[in-house]
Amino acid sequence: MSARPVFLDLRRIRFPVGAIASMGHRISGVALAIALPFAVLALQRSLDGDSLALAGWMRIPAALLAWAAAHHLFAGIRHLLMEAGIGSSLPAARRSAYAALIGGAAIALAAFVA
Amino acid sequence: MRLFSGQRAFVLQRLTALVLLAYVAGALLRLALGAPPELAAWRAWAARPAGAALIALLAAALLLHAWVGLRDVVLDYVHPLALRLAVLGAAAAALAFLGLWTALILVSHAL
Repeated sequence: MSARPVFLDLRRIRFPVGAIASMGHRISGVALAIALPFAVLALQRSLDGDSLALAGWMRIPAALLAWAAAHHLFAGIRHLLMEAGIGSSLPAARRSAYAALIGGAAIALAAFVA
Repeated sequence: MRLFSGQRAFVLQRLTALVLLAYVAGALLRLALGAPPELAAWRAWAARPAGAALIALLAAALLLHAWVGLRDVVLDYVHPLALRLAVLGAAAAALAFLGLWTALILVSHAL
């Protein structure tokens, strides 16, 4: 190991909103990858004419998955735009990070109550 | 595996992201234009070459995008080489299995 100073006290590291949106993009991406087998299963059942109805308790994982899809989409669009030089100034990036977080939460809520 | 690492992975991740974005936009547009198709229409559409090809392209973009993303996460957090190779191998095998399964669904449905 190198001798350079390491500062990993999670209670003292600051997480600006951009970091939270970015971390959410990762977590939602892994969640979506884990959900891929269910997507293929859903394609199979749907083409076979089988019901895709969810049991009552499935509302919670379904809402979490809706959050993952929505947040990953919004944060992904944000990253692509920033790579194109759009909205990469700090104030704009903070605004779009809030927008991605709020948009993802709103869609999760809508999926839960729908 | 040069095709799936380095700058090519970076480009592949963005290209597949744009493809997936187009599917999301297409799906929203389709929903805005009218009710979702009935079962018979959906089954007939998916059995036609154009429909099956659109589903196959979606699956390919999803699986490739998932591969680059999972690979990035593993390279960042899984450091012991043997464990890293095992996790990457398992992810690649799982995604390849899902690709084959999807192809099988589409072909058997079209026949």
